[in-house]
Amino acid sequence: MRPPAARPAPPRLLQSAGFRFALLFMGIFSIAAAFLVAVLWWATAGALDRQTVAAIRADSTALLDRHRDGGVSALIESIEDRLAQDVEAETIYLLLGPGGAKLAGNLERLPESLDGDGAWFRARIAHDGASAEARIHRRDLPGGLRLLVGRDESERVQLRLLLTEGVVWSLGAIIVFGVIGASVIRRALRARMAPATETARNIASGDMSHRVPLSPQDDEFDRLGATMNAMLDRISLLMAGVRSVSDAIAHDLRTPIARARGKLEEALATATTADDLRGAVEEGIADLDNISRIFQALLRIAEAEAGARRAAFAPLDLPEVLRDAAEFYEAMAEDAGQLLATELPGALPMVGDRDLLLQAVANLLDNAMKFTPAGGTITLSARQEGGHAVIAVADSGPGLSPEDRARAMDRFFRADASRNTPGSGLGLSLVRAVAQLHRGEVELADAHPGAAPPGLRVALRLPLG
Amino acid sequence: MRFPYALPVVALLCIHPGRAEPAEASLRLTTDSAEYCESLALRLAGMPAAAAPLPNALSEEGRRLCAGGHYRTGIAKLRRAIRLANEARAGG
Repeated sequence: MRPPAARPAPPRLLQSAGFRFALLFMGIFSIAAAFLVAVLWWATAGALDRQTVAAIRADSTALLDRHRDGGVSALIESIEDRLAQDVEAETIYLLLGPGGAKLAGNLERLPESLDGDGAWFRARIAHDGASAEARIHRRDLPGGLRLLVGRDESERVQLRLLLTEGVVWSLGAIIVFGVIGASVIRRALRARMAPATETARNIASGDMSHRVPLSPQDDEFDRLGATMNAMLDRISLLMAGVRSVSDAIAHDLRTPIARARGKLEEALATATTADDLRGAVEEGIADLDNISRIFQALLRIAEAEAGARRAAFAPLDLPEVLRDAAEFYEAMAEDAGQLLATELPGALPMVGDRDLLLQAVANLLDNAMKFTPAGGTITLSARQEGGHAVIAVADSGPGLSPEDRARAMDRFFRADASRNTPGSGLGLSLVRAVAQLHRGEVELADAHPGAAPPGLRVALRLPLG
Repeated sequence: MRFPYALPVVALLCIHPGRAEPAEASLRLTTDSAEYCESLALRLAGMPAAAAPLPNALSEEGRRLCAGGHYRTGIAKLRRAIRLANEARAGG
């Protein structure tokens, strides 16, 4: 199959959007001008034409009546009389007898191509040495008489010439102003687009720090620039996130992988029985499962942060989701000697991702259980505050210092006091990512301010609308 | 879009008044000649009110113009004189 022939590039001027907009405007303007000319013509020359036709029709009818009442001689007298009183010199008559002989009138002969009775005809006439246009109407009378009645249309021709001249001048003006306007618009568009073009060029060359400068006009170009800046901010944030995850993976996963490898190597070197080897392999599998869980958590966080799951948002009843989570963790809390209390409203409808919300609450309950001593209480609550739903998990554990709270939601962060508890340091990162996906936020505070230990209260504040 | 200027021209051509009928060689009018001047003067002379001052003055002027070869204006004067004479007769 032959490849399709490449389309020739349009002329350079037509490659400019500004010029094309100006041409489009000129096209619309030209259509409006043509419509105006047509209306003007109908109202002036057209009206004159209609008046002429009406006058000829009335005149010929009156002459026919005269012929019926007084015969040929009366008709001839009427024609001569009309001609004799025609001060404006615009009437045209011709009365021919049965043999074609001229009986009366001021037209020298019968036009050649004239149809039968009732025909309308336009002819050029030589009038006082000048050429003029005339409209003529033919009526056939009994006895083989033929009557032509007409009017000189010189005025109409003059009007037509005037209109044509006006239109030609206007057309010239449209073209001149159109070309000037097109080049002005083209230049203005190019000037307004220049900051965005320059920024895009700098970004393309690898410098992500550039942003589109915005003017105080706040017009369409500024709004486009602001959108581009928001997009660039988001891209920078995602790139920083990817970089951070890569760094974190390189740093924090190296240790458990190295530890699992070390254990397996040691078992290979020192195990003397099959049971020792089996135990080492099972421990290695558990370590690898842990690493796999960390990867899954990282992927979920990345997915939530990218906003990819927003399409899966659906209406849900928040207390129902929280009750599911509480039911699952209640038995585990009991086993650990803790009390899991719930303070949930009857219904709190919202729109969101049910699975991710459940995962976030599960992470919070999991954390709370890890740090709450036996006999302690964990409270899961939800309530509506204005246009927000607030989900809170409070525990009676040691809490977090203000410094640790500031970093608690960073990936792989683990407070010094929790180094000995199992976990990946990704739980709160996922909670924050889920909150951000729902356009909400996470607040960390003391659960019991002033008490010792103060406990930790983690609250998700999610907009309902 | 490539020929926006052509639109008014097309519109003009569409409403051009000379488009309807075919043209023909010019027909001559016989009412702009010395003979017609003379026939109008005779017609006026036969009218009862021709001697009235205004028709008479117009008639004189019309004949003078026709004699000088200005048929169009001469004939116009004579026609005005006839119209006035007619109106005078109709008015009694």
